[in-house]
Amino acid sequence: MTLMDFHMLLPYILLSMGACLLLPAGAFMRRPDARTLNIMGAAIALAAGISAICIHPSQADIGNLLAFDAYDRFFTAAASFMACVSLLFASGYSARRPIGGEEFPSLALFAAFGMSLLASSTSLLGVFLGLESMSLSLYVMLAANKSDPLSGESGLKYLVIGAISTAFFAYGLALIYVDSGTLSLAGSIAALSGGAGTAKITGLGLAGWALLIVGLGFKTSLFPFHLWAPDVYQGGPAPAVGFLSTASKASVFAVFLKFTGAVGAPRAELSHVLWVMAALTMIFGNIAALTQNNIKRLLAYSSIAQMGYVLVALIAAPGSGEGAAIFYLVAYSAMELCAFGAISAFSGKDGELGDIRELRGAGFKYPARSAALSIALVSLAGLPPTAGFIGKFGIFYSALNSGYVWLSIIGILTAIVSVYYYLRVVVYLYMRGGEAEKAVAFPEADFPSGLALAALSVIVVYLGIFPGKLLNLVASLTRLTV
Amino acid sequence: MNGTLTFLIFLPALSALLLLLEKNPKTVRLFALFITSCELAISLLVYWLCWRGIFSGRTLIKLDYPWIARFGIHYALAMDGVSLLLVTLTALLFALCVLVSWRQVNERVSLFHAMLLFLETGIMGVFLSADLFLFYLFWEAMLIPMFFLIGVFGHGRRVYSAVKFFVFTITGSLLMLLSIIGVYIIHGRETGVYSFMLRDLAHTQVSPVVSGVLFIGFLLGFAVKVPLFPLHTWLPDAHTDAPTAGSVILAGVLLKTGAYGILRVAFPLFPRAAAAFLPLIFTISVTGIFYAAWIAFAQKDMKRLIAYSSVSHLAYVVLGIAVWNDVSIAGSVLQMVNHGITTGALFIMVGMMDERMHTRDISAYGGLWSKAPAMSAFFLFFILSSLGLPGLNNFTGEFLILTGLFRAHPWLCAAGFAGMVTTLIYLLSLAQKILFGPPKEYRGFTDLSGRELAVLIPLAFLVVFIGVYPSALLRVLDTPVRDMVSAVSINPVGGIMP
Repeated sequence: MTLMDFHMLLPYILLSMGACLLLPAGAFMRRPDARTLNIMGAAIALAAGISAICIHPSQADIGNLLAFDAYDRFFTAAASFMACVSLLFASGYSARRPIGGEEFPSLALFAAFGMSLLASSTSLLGVFLGLESMSLSLYVMLAANKSDPLSGESGLKYLVIGAISTAFFAYGLALIYVDSGTLSLAGSIAALSGGAGTAKITGLGLAGWALLIVGLGFKTSLFPFHLWAPDVYQGGPAPAVGFLSTASKASVFAVFLKFTGAVGAPRAELSHVLWVMAALTMIFGNIAALTQNNIKRLLAYSSIAQMGYVLVALIAAPGSGEGAAIFYLVAYSAMELCAFGAISAFSGKDGELGDIRELRGAGFKYPARSAALSIALVSLAGLPPTAGFIGKFGIFYSALNSGYVWLSIIGILTAIVSVYYYLRVVVYLYMRGGEAEKAVAFPEADFPSGLALAALSVIVVYLGIFPGKLLNLVASLTRLTV
Repeated sequence: MNGTLTFLIFLPALSALLLLLEKNPKTVRLFALFITSCELAISLLVYWLCWRGIFSGRTLIKLDYPWIARFGIHYALAMDGVSLLLVTLTALLFALCVLVSWRQVNERVSLFHAMLLFLETGIMGVFLSADLFLFYLFWEAMLIPMFFLIGVFGHGRRVYSAVKFFVFTITGSLLMLLSIIGVYIIHGRETGVYSFMLRDLAHTQVSPVVSGVLFIGFLLGFAVKVPLFPLHTWLPDAHTDAPTAGSVILAGVLLKTGAYGILRVAFPLFPRAAAAFLPLIFTISVTGIFYAAWIAFAQKDMKRLIAYSSVSHLAYVVLGIAVWNDVSIAGSVLQMVNHGITTGALFIMVGMMDERMHTRDISAYGGLWSKAPAMSAFFLFFILSSLGLPGLNNFTGEFLILTGLFRAHPWLCAAGFAGMVTTLIYLLSLAQKILFGPPKEYRGFTDLSGRELAVLIPLAFLVVFIGVYPSALLRVLDTPVRDMVSAVSINPVGGIMP
């Protein structure tokens, strides 16, 4: 690798250096202003995302640690854009709720750096590094609101759970290394699938993989490792939670996909376990969400359930499953960010938007952000013409195509259940309370988050009507995994 | 001409987006009226061209573009005589709905009309799709506008009814989605061509058990919408609590999408499974005719009564389709149009009474004829039409259905006639209670206004016109229905179970 090749690393450099530069930036500003700092962070993230798309790497691999192909670039760009959008939400939010000045955008960039590392690593060690740099930043982002004890609780809970999942992951990694003698993803996966020329995997190695799945299961809140989600979602600042719920889960799934998508069908032992996990995740997440009155808890359970659908696609890989999973992750990220963006816009000085009953009549008093929230929820419920529908269609198609009929039926039945609780929020927005004058007063709209919300709503609807290009892109990516 | 169908479908939705930005109620109403009239004018124009023989053949207009290439999904639309009739009915009722809501909806006027227009796009799309995926997309796109129309603009337990409507229909349609994907995959594996085009899928060879399962998925999705007994329980609530325009659209066209789906999708795709399930379909249809009539007789609320009468009437339509011969299918399609006109008119009239008296309770009325003769005359006229008086529209449709039925199943035909007698009982008793007897107190009750007459006269004209000259509609139906019957044979001799 020469100096000339450094431009390939530009997205990573932008994210990490940007994070480092933002941290002391406040000291040099005459009047440090959280809003400006967040927008600066968003601009850096946007630049990183664009550079990830535009700069085509000339080398496939660096130091057996990082790969540079379209797949990794895709997830790097996605993580950067999600950081950008979250920081746009945070800019208006930070004027109303104290989430610190420079540390929030700086940590978001660090987290995005960790996520891109996660998606690009070709070695289990790289995955571990990415996972940790992502999680460490997220702990602090969740606890950023020092005046709110719930925020601290949220950060602490995520920290404890994160530590446990790290322990599982590291232990699993060690066992796999002992068994297969390699830390490279390709090598250890080849051992798992019993490819030619590799030693047969022993029980020790299989146990390692199980521990690895536990570690990743925690991060993506799959049943039965989901219990942290509701409290963490409820307490954390909405922009941070939105970021956690989308970007971190999507990047961890990028790793998951490398495991299952790379080398033919996952081993029967693993796919049975994943089958049960997916079914229970969908059932539990959707049913538990039914009784929630707090919108962030509701979205927490909904997000658990949504990950179940992604897992269904993952089980149905290889074939059409990987593509369906990536498409769904993109759609999910857009709609979930849109929902959390609307929640941050609804959160004022006195507290975050909590009980959905506070939204009575808000649909007519605040039409723009309510419309964005409704579009996000309709899409999460999987109704056309939104990205969520095409995503769910792709998932059920690949599941049926791979013969997982019962899993699809469970998925459809739980999706029917989910329609009810998503609609409840829409009902409160538009159908209860009536008089717009009596609606709770929420803060005025701010431009950056309004812009981000509008863009996300348009993306959600656009992908629902013209998904062709993204579907093709995603299909071309999956041919490249590992 | 290729753009016509696209224009017909998306003009309302695009105008709805514009409407959302407009605040002045009067402008909104006029604009919505203009758009819905445009729709009506276009469909009438196509009808006229078809009548003059300028359009002919099985498919009058069609277009086909690849849309989502990855899944072989096409943006394919087709219009034949059946869809033409239903599209014209839709356009007519929507234009009337804007007129009907002129005085009734005074708050959030732009949202109301925007939802109405979005709904029109969805319904038009369902009637014109030639691709199953596109069909499903429009099918579901109808839900949200209707949900808003009931939930925001309804009365009584509007939220409960709106959610009930939504959850019932989404349950049916999501199960249908699995069947759609299933038949798509089976067809793709068999032929190597992955396509959602209805004409491709119709030739799929499926094993009896699998086709039975897939057919059940489709049947559930459509039966909830029709609605067939015992899946009808959402309908009375939705009708009762919806605003007048919502009820008119719901009864007038939304229910027809279910019957249309059975006719266009479920039976042609799975003829063998359909044949196997015929006894079930006959049983629930006939049960529905009697059960709904019986329940209708006990209703105190006029809208609820008419809602149950819809359940009963639509069961005839399904019977006609299920028999699957050219006479009965033509009768069914004709009856869909008739029911839309007559029941639409009845709901409009109940809305007018409700506007004046603020109640739909039958016992609050009585002797209306002495107070408002013109209104009473129209009401009686539409009731007579609904119960199938010869010379009026419903008679022709029912007659054709029962004739077709008689050929294949004489005893079913007998049951159908008995059902018509029950219809007579509850509808005549409704007319008697409201129009005749000692007059109740009607303070400030005025007879029909000019705008209201403008709504009712075209409907009344159609009732008579179709009654005495049904060939005007049947001529358009003839070719497509014959083609449909000859393309697929539903042969009940094939066995009791798949």
